Amino acid sequence: MKRRDIMRLAAFAAVLAATTALLPGKDAIAQDKKWRIGFSQATTIEPWRAQFNKDIIAEAAKHPEVELIITDGEDKTEKQVADVENLIRQEVNALLISPKESAGLTGVVQQAIDAKIPVFVLDRNVETDQYTQFVGGDNKLIGRAAGEYAVELLGGKGKAHGNVVEIWGGMGTQPAHDRHDGFHEFTDKEPGIKNLLDQQSGDWKQDQAYNIMATALRNNEKIDLVYGHNDPMAYGAYLAAKDAGREKDIKFIGIDALPGEGVTWVNNGELTATFLYATPGAEGLRQAIKFLNGEKVEKTVTLDTMKVTKENAGQIMKEKGL
Amino acid sequence: MTFLRLLSQTKLYWGLIAIFLIGVLSSPVTSSGRNIFLSSGNLLDVLRQVSTTGLVATGMTAVILTGGIDLSVGSMMAICSVICAMLLTVPGETPAVFLGFPAVGLASLLIGAVAVRFIFINIEKTRSGVANIRDVQLDRMRGTLLPAVGGVILCALVLSFLLPQVQTKFGVLGVLLVAPAVGLLFGAINGVIIVVGRLQPFIVTLAMMVTALGIARLTAGQNNAVLPVYTGSNATADFDVLRQLVFGIVPMPGIFFIAAIILYSVVLRFTPFGRYVYAIGGNEEAARLSGINAGRVKIVTYAISGLLAGVAAVLYVAQYRQGKPDAGAGLELDAIAAVVIGGTSLMGGRGSLAGTFCGVLIFGLLSNILQLHNINSNLQLVLKGVIIIGTVLVQERNAFDVLAHLRLTSRRPAQRETAAEERPSRETLSLTVGGKEE
Repeated sequence: MKRRDIMRLAAFAAVLAATTALLPGKDAIAQDKKWRIGFSQATTIEPWRAQFNKDIIAEAAKHPEVELIITDGEDKTEKQVADVENLIRQEVNALLISPKESAGLTGVVQQAIDAKIPVFVLDRNVETDQYTQFVGGDNKLIGRAAGEYAVELLGGKGKAHGNVVEIWGGMGTQPAHDRHDGFHEFTDKEPGIKNLLDQQSGDWKQDQAYNIMATALRNNEKIDLVYGHNDPMAYGAYLAAKDAGREKDIKFIGIDALPGEGVTWVNNGELTATFLYATPGAEGLRQAIKFLNGEKVEKTVTLDTMKVTKENAGQIMKEKGL
Repeated sequence: MTFLRLLSQTKLYWGLIAIFLIGVLSSPVTSSGRNIFLSSGNLLDVLRQVSTTGLVATGMTAVILTGGIDLSVGSMMAICSVICAMLLTVPGETPAVFLGFPAVGLASLLIGAVAVRFIFINIEKTRSGVANIRDVQLDRMRGTLLPAVGGVILCALVLSFLLPQVQTKFGVLGVLLVAPAVGLLFGAINGVIIVVGRLQPFIVTLAMMVTALGIARLTAGQNNAVLPVYTGSNATADFDVLRQLVFGIVPMPGIFFIAAIILYSVVLRFTPFGRYVYAIGGNEEAARLSGINAGRVKIVTYAISGLLAGVAAVLYVAQYRQGKPDAGAGLELDAIAAVVIGGTSLMGGRGSLAGTFCGVLIFGLLSNILQLHNINSNLQLVLKGVIIIGTVLVQERNAFDVLAHLRLTSRRPAQRETAAEERPSRETLSLTVGGKEE
């Protein structure tokens, strides 16, 4: 009995010593860094979020005086709230947060503001306006750009005619509604443009978009243009058309322009065009550093979009290191 | 060697002490030289963060002690959170009402039935001097009819008070009772199906997990029910009490968690019901033969598990200002892990709530430490898994066992210790028929 206890005690001591030794030392705060900036990301599973993180890390590498701490909320409100609490305890100089959702994260953002930490909200807003700055894209603006280009592809203003298939993102989501509304501001003015589908949602997913398109191809002799609310859905529609042998006479437009997805597909000639939904990571970090260095920053920064076609796709991939 | 003996008796707490020590020793310090891990704010953050999982793990412990398992806690929490938030935001206009108030009625029925039965039996016992009343007629009449009537009246009262009053303090209080009632109802349904259908708890609660999630989504419709906290509604302002710190120090959810642990510990340790729970987990057949109504005990443990999931849901809504169908996703696994880390056997019959308390805290502190060190979140998951196995290994086995298994020593593996201190003694298990107390 005694001997066993001693062994157990020894095992315990060993485990304790090993783990303590493995963890980074007491002095976790690097001395040569002037600023510690915390960034709370909602999730890292989605490609757009992964690109978001890549962009912010690449930007941080350009600023040797900054130590960037990235947390991952694992797509759970409670985890992200815990992450932000943790960053507050670590007394970061500035907090960047891309909330999973508005309501659930507002309380903890308020807590950071009360702790005198400047807060930069990225991509999705919270329900308070006491933050330092909001940085994000404008989906309506991107939808407009896509709509304008679609009209151009179908024959130009006043003369455009053709059958359009629109594949929605999630039905209940604001981004999908914005991307739809912006697009239709242009296409609805054209009497020659006919919308074939009524609010078919692919839930942002490639496989669901494939099925919607396969059905549309069976039901319609003539489809001229497909507008997917994101690139994977536009690509799914392209694959369906390809399997039906009709991809040559259809134009495909997507949104997001991630280097590994949309830009690559445009470069391969699979999609006609995609429009950039810029990740606010790099800009948010630049703004935070500007603020910490004592400069004035705007309350809201809206990121611009960019049309990606065969002409500039190769260039963008080079820039992003693909 | 008394020190060592003491240590071996408190092996439950070893993991907790170890994790805590690691936290203290390796914690980064702030620029002003304070130890971040030890700062009261950080430790109270941890307490707040674990309270939801903790409440659910508390209910789960008793279920696992009877040899069962409850996979539906996460979904039950989701549906309770949706109902709670909807009642607070759009009183009287939502599907939540249709599900919520009947649930209150049924839950009050259940509670009423148990309470009235208990009272009558005790009255009969004292009046007749007979310790063992088994008058089926009496049971049937007074044990179900009265509470049924009482439950309906109570439900009607609750309804008539609540609907017009949701903007008042009293109305909010009523709404807060709805979510635990819904949880209790779902938990009781679990228990009844398991006992009456004589099915595996695993499959029944798995089915309930899916079903309840579906109901939660149907109830919520397209959008999450978000509390209009920032529009200055009175109801939600009163509701905020559940989010704030008590005496400016302890977060309210933590108080709920600790209270649940203490109350349920007392019940498990000092009441016949508690002894039955252990007895059933140890050997259900033997428990049955010694006159324990195993079915009823099991139903009660599942019902309480649901009730605590409902309480957790209320706290969730208070903290995150919304109820939504994906609240509590993956919660069942966290809770089961915490219970097992706390030394409770999945076979049933062995374990304790004190252990679960430690297990929950180990989990929370571990996440906190890894996050304080800003370890890559994917690596964090790996480390969590490894450390959980390590903790359980150290608590359950000693080096000799492991070495013997690996044929590195000639010593035979030690006999598995029966954790005597976690089990009711033999005397308490020799139950007389009908549960007469010694």
